[in-house]
Amino acid sequence: MDDNGRRKFLGICLGGMAAGLAAAFLYPVYRYLAPRTNSGAVAKVVIPEKDVLEGEAKFFEFAGSSAVLVRKKGGELVALSAVCTHLGCIVQWEKDKQDFICPCHGGHYTPDGVVTAGPPPRPLAKLPFSVANGAITVG
Amino acid sequence: MKLLKRLIDWIDVRIGVREVAEKELTGYLLPRTINVWYSMGSVLLVIFGIQVLSGILLLIYYVPDADNAFKSVTSIMNDVPFGWLIRMCHAVGSNMMVLVLLLHMFSVLFMGSYKSPREFNWLSGFILFTMVQGISLTGYLLPWSQLSFWATTVATNSANAIPVAGPYLVEFLRGSKLVGPPTLGRFFALHVALIPLGMAALIGAHLFFLKRTGVSTPPFGQADSTNQWKGGSYQYEDHPGGIPFFPNYALEDLRSVFIYLALFLAVVFFDPYLFFPKDAFLPANPLVTPAHIKPEWYFLANYQTLKIFPNELIGLSVQAVAMTFLALLPFIDRGRERHPLKRPLFLVCAIGGLLLWLGLSVWGHYS
Repeated sequence: MDDNGRRKFLGICLGGMAAGLAAAFLYPVYRYLAPRTNSGAVAKVVIPEKDVLEGEAKFFEFAGSSAVLVRKKGGELVALSAVCTHLGCIVQWEKDKQDFICPCHGGHYTPDGVVTAGPPPRPLAKLPFSVANGAITVG
Repeated sequence: MKLLKRLIDWIDVRIGVREVAEKELTGYLLPRTINVWYSMGSVLLVIFGIQVLSGILLLIYYVPDADNAFKSVTSIMNDVPFGWLIRMCHAVGSNMMVLVLLLHMFSVLFMGSYKSPREFNWLSGFILFTMVQGISLTGYLLPWSQLSFWATTVATNSANAIPVAGPYLVEFLRGSKLVGPPTLGRFFALHVALIPLGMAALIGAHLFFLKRTGVSTPPFGQADSTNQWKGGSYQYEDHPGGIPFFPNYALEDLRSVFIYLALFLAVVFFDPYLFFPKDAFLPANPLVTPAHIKPEWYFLANYQTLKIFPNELIGLSVQAVAMTFLALLPFIDRGRERHPLKRPLFLVCAIGGLLLWLGLSVWGHYS
């Protein structure tokens, strides 16, 4: 084998090793960067019933996102995702108007999460909850 | 292949890449007697790249706050998938960088490559060496372990020996009277921003000087091993009839890089805690100083020198003189001969200095 042949062989071997090594390190780096499942997420959230007064809303973290409990005038409870369905901003509760407003682009929702004005394409997602012994369990 | 050629053609007619490749790669000729020691610079570039990459990855989970730093490092090691691998690569890599840098410097010393007209190459390399020491020292504090905390306390306290300004200098370095949260803040900024940027700039300057002066010819295997530089006017040291950088020497570089990676990964996978004393696994406690706190292996000689001299100022001054002598070596050693065996005074001093450094390090380790 002449010099150039040997050099080419060495180049292919080293290049192949470099590619193999890069691939072997890409997986750990991907796993290192990938979001961890359930990181920061809480499966169930328990909130004392007395913390949600009539006509008011209580915001809290749920399943790695933001959620809200509303006690409507009349006492009915609603649990909703607080993430606006337009571009993902967090909605705010307007106590005087008894509705939600998204501060980003002015989307409006009823206390049940139904869109009344603005660009949101869908209502706010409803969350399952139960009430027992003076505690509201969401999730 | 046809598609690749068309793509290169497309780029070439716009920015003339073939001309650049011809000038910088295939037409860039190196001496035929070039040896493996010339590839240490490339290995160091790869190490610097790995350090930057693993450092950026660590920044994603590391919290530079005294209350959370240790917890975040523990979480990287135990909770984050492959976090241990990224951190071990960074920690082991920092030690390996110092080791390869020392080999690079020794080879330049022994082959007389620091001599005129390469004063700039040597000086920029020497400043890079001190910056590597600086980035290692500042990075040492970041895990906020007992080892980090007390090693930094001892290291910063050395400045106390400087007359008049010493105590203020120590406080300035720490950002407070004792090592504490302000120290972590400033060491973090130095470690992740200021020193790496400075190093990148100096690496650029180092390579620029190398390109402008040309690669030196090894003094071995030739009848006349004296410095051929005449002085007086700028002269690029070319090597007509030499070997092209690409593919010939690039492959030699790559071979050295792989030998390095084999050693590096052997430590990472088989002895990852080689450079970790047990105090590195305990969170910093400002009220409890562990016994026998020691710096990293490459600072052991400095540590022992400070212990030998009864006066700290003398110990510091001796080190300052030694470092200044080394930095100014190309201006002190004006001899034309480059072959180490034909420079007996140099050889005695270099080997003596190396043995002294090794002896002090071993003494420091066991003292």
